Amino acid sequence: MDPEDIAALQKARDRLKDAARPDIVTRVHGTEKLTARERIELLLDPDSCIEYGGIAARTRDGDWVGEAGGVDFVGTVDGRPVIASSTDYTDHGGGYGAGRLGRLFALAVEQRWPVVMFVDGGGSRARHPRAGMGHIETSGPVGRFSFLDGVPELSGWAPVVAIVSGPSFAGHASLAGFSDFLVSTPGSSIGMGGPPMVEAALGQRLRPNELAGSEMHERSGGIDLLVADEPAAIAAAKRYLSYYDNDKPDGVAPDVDLDALAPDAGQPYDMRKIVAAISDADSVFELRPRFAPALLTCLARIGGRSVGVLANQPLTDDGAIDHDAASKIARFVELCNTYEYPMLALIDTPGCVANWDLKGQDPSVEPGLTRWHSRPLIAHQQRTVPLVSVQVRRGRGLGAALMSGVSSTRGVPALRLAWPGVEIGRRDGYSAVVDHNAFDDVIAPRETRERVSRLLGMFGRPAPRERKKHPIDTW
Amino acid sequence: METHLLRQIADARARGSDDARPGVVDAVHRHGRLTARERLTALFDQESLVEYGALAGRTTDPGDEAFADGLIGGVGLVHGEPVVAASYDESVLGGTQSDRNHRKMAKLLYLAVEHRWPVVCFANGGGARLDDPLPPPPIAVSPRGRFELCDGLAELNGWAPTVAVVSGRAVDGHAAIAMLADFTIATASAEFGTQDGHVRGAGDYAKTGDVDVVVDDEAQAIATVRRYLRLYLVDHVPGEAAGDADRIADVIPENRRRPYDMRRVIDAFADAGSVLELGAAWGRSMLTVLARLDGRTVGIYANQPKSPLAGAIDAAAADKAARFVELCDAYDYPIVTFVDNPGYMVGPQAEREGIARHHARPLAALHHRTVPLYSVQIRKAYGLGPYAMSGWGAARRVPEMRLAWPSVESGGMSLEGAAYLVKRKEILAAETREEAMAIRDGYAERMRDAASGLRAGRSYQFDDIVEPAATRATIAAMLHRTPRARTSIKKHAIDPR
Repeated sequence: MDPEDIAALQKARDRLKDAARPDIVTRVHGTEKLTARERIELLLDPDSCIEYGGIAARTRDGDWVGEAGGVDFVGTVDGRPVIASSTDYTDHGGGYGAGRLGRLFALAVEQRWPVVMFVDGGGSRARHPRAGMGHIETSGPVGRFSFLDGVPELSGWAPVVAIVSGPSFAGHASLAGFSDFLVSTPGSSIGMGGPPMVEAALGQRLRPNELAGSEMHERSGGIDLLVADEPAAIAAAKRYLSYYDNDKPDGVAPDVDLDALAPDAGQPYDMRKIVAAISDADSVFELRPRFAPALLTCLARIGGRSVGVLANQPLTDDGAIDHDAASKIARFVELCNTYEYPMLALIDTPGCVANWDLKGQDPSVEPGLTRWHSRPLIAHQQRTVPLVSVQVRRGRGLGAALMSGVSSTRGVPALRLAWPGVEIGRRDGYSAVVDHNAFDDVIAPRETRERVSRLLGMFGRPAPRERKKHPIDTW
Repeated sequence: METHLLRQIADARARGSDDARPGVVDAVHRHGRLTARERLTALFDQESLVEYGALAGRTTDPGDEAFADGLIGGVGLVHGEPVVAASYDESVLGGTQSDRNHRKMAKLLYLAVEHRWPVVCFANGGGARLDDPLPPPPIAVSPRGRFELCDGLAELNGWAPTVAVVSGRAVDGHAAIAMLADFTIATASAEFGTQDGHVRGAGDYAKTGDVDVVVDDEAQAIATVRRYLRLYLVDHVPGEAAGDADRIADVIPENRRRPYDMRRVIDAFADAGSVLELGAAWGRSMLTVLARLDGRTVGIYANQPKSPLAGAIDAAAADKAARFVELCDAYDYPIVTFVDNPGYMVGPQAEREGIARHHARPLAALHHRTVPLYSVQIRKAYGLGPYAMSGWGAARRVPEMRLAWPSVESGGMSLEGAAYLVKRKEILAAETREEAMAIRDGYAERMRDAASGLRAGRSYQFDDIVEPAATRATIAAMLHRTPRARTSIKKHAIDPR
């Protein structure tokens, strides 16, 4: 081969590197952000990357060119394969072309590889040659999946992590909205329509963060985690994926006296401390911490085994389950079920409340049931991962059922424990008789970890699957 | 056999009948209501009920007057097909739920799960009965079978239709039935509440999407249940075009910016008198109806230009569409969509409601569907708007057919919006509002010419651009080629919300 051809290729490759565009790198760093390539470098194990689309075509003039708008890789995180992608807003606004991610998503579906993608940008690329009118639909299928339907296909099959560390609107926000773990940074924004569209449609002029700020989403449930900056977001993504690897050695018990932490009747306490005391030391990773805070959802490890922990938090609204909390339970049960995380439910709730916010009425929260409260019941009904329930104090109304499923054959807890402070014998509008068989055992709080850990150790690993159980609801 | 034994049973049965309780029946009728038994009689085909647990009582005392322990139930026929139904009797201890009538319910739900029979429950009552004598442990916990109430309904969800009718007050455990059913009907005066006195009317529950249909009285409720079940149970009936089917194009105003009532399009498209709308009072920019097309059951969902959001899809509309797609897919109803929306809703309010997450729900539901889907784009669908109505265009699962009418227009955002952004300086500098609008609309009109009507056909954005009046025949012909195929497994649950 003509050495000049090789040299031309090398030259084209060098042009892609950050070193070849110092102005842009300086500009990006000026906003305290990382370049697309720096993000991937932080995410993937060193020397593990295979780039896709770096050189994608040759122009009529004979120049090698890459896919525009971002970078895509297959690499490893902690030694396990991951698809990694980042938009690059300095390159065509980070716009997606017709099929950039589609083939990688197809690989992810075939191999059941997790995906981590940085998705800041403003939607479809308006003038991509294959896309008429900026209208992705007209561009036609490129592989088995387009980048659009690849994400719902992956949902519930392999983890999809989205990181938004900048403005993300329209198509980019859509990708983010499909992910099962969405992490963002302060000052970022995720919205269906960006400021120009909002000005055109509603006449309101707003900055991106005023319109759809990640700080707002942190409370309203639009994201799973808000962290300080991009390195922290990457660390969170790695942490999330670490639970997917369920073959860690035994964990260390935390040095806490759980008997002393366990509450007396009517005494306020922080359920987070109890979650931490039952789990392996430093293993608790809370998702959506500021959304529906009366209900905690945490990934954790017990005896080294990944588990999903659901817990009422009586510090907020007495631990009552409102619409948001009910949705939070349902989505988390779906997540644990698809990724085969056994579950632990710590129950202490006065039951369900309904949020009323109708036109012409003052908003109110009242005891009552809505369809939102049926979501966890349906989710538990299709759950096949084992669940251990621990009733700390109250499980009134339908509350205990929402936390752990209804107590007959399907969805039934694999082990039903209670602590001595449990409220027993209460009859309310949902239970006509006292269930004399309510628990499999009542134990001292300090015995909980060992008991749960021992049972978890007996559960076999799930058999390999040919297809997913179900997707994970985006809400 | 000893005659006194026979007589004892016959007497007990007779005492539980409506004939034996004229006072109770009169009181119920005075309120314009039906008795628990009358509801089942009205629901089922003539005399078809096989009753379960008619002799159950609050106690085992032969003189016990808690007839059927407050829950009349059994298996009957609706349109000739087996259906399980249960009706709480408010005249017996307030229709409360006891351990015993829970066991009756559990048996009925077991039958429904096992045989894939629809369930209808008249869920009026005061929640759990608190003053029953407590049976002693440990024999108190008699086996209930495979399911209890809530998990039985959850198990049925997506497997066979579950219908709840509330025509009185549904408290706690009764409200749970209504909220777990996949089709919930309430009379206008019905209420939902708790034993500690919190009560909300059916109107409020309809506005939040927790009740699907509000009717005037029980007779109407039962007629609606029978219609709903017929759509599920009977696949193919004779169907006639609506009287104005040929004039369907007239529904669309000449002025492309004027809204119209999408219900009129659906009425003219579907078989005459076949349309059953679900959830009319919530997510009003999205219509969801069950109907027949040439005698075949279809689910139709459509944008409603004549709604407060002008058809824009907000979180509620997205949820509504997603749930409907799941319902149609679970029950194997082919789907037809009518598309005319300015896209997903934008702005700070929509973002607070989580549209960036909720928008994905109909897309995910469409992605996982296996029923055929036919879409008809009437006018616009901007941004991600078209995908909410038929799924991603470049995808594993694409619509069986995408049609458009000659009035179709497409774009990344609304033509007026795009024109505003392109001509923003001129528009903001305009002296009058009229002048500003003229600049905007003039440019929008030019952009429209570039991608609409015939050009959308030339560029094969759609499988065809059809004359509106031909739409019905085209989709009906395809429906005959892709008839409803019943799957033998439960595909997935129907998300309650």
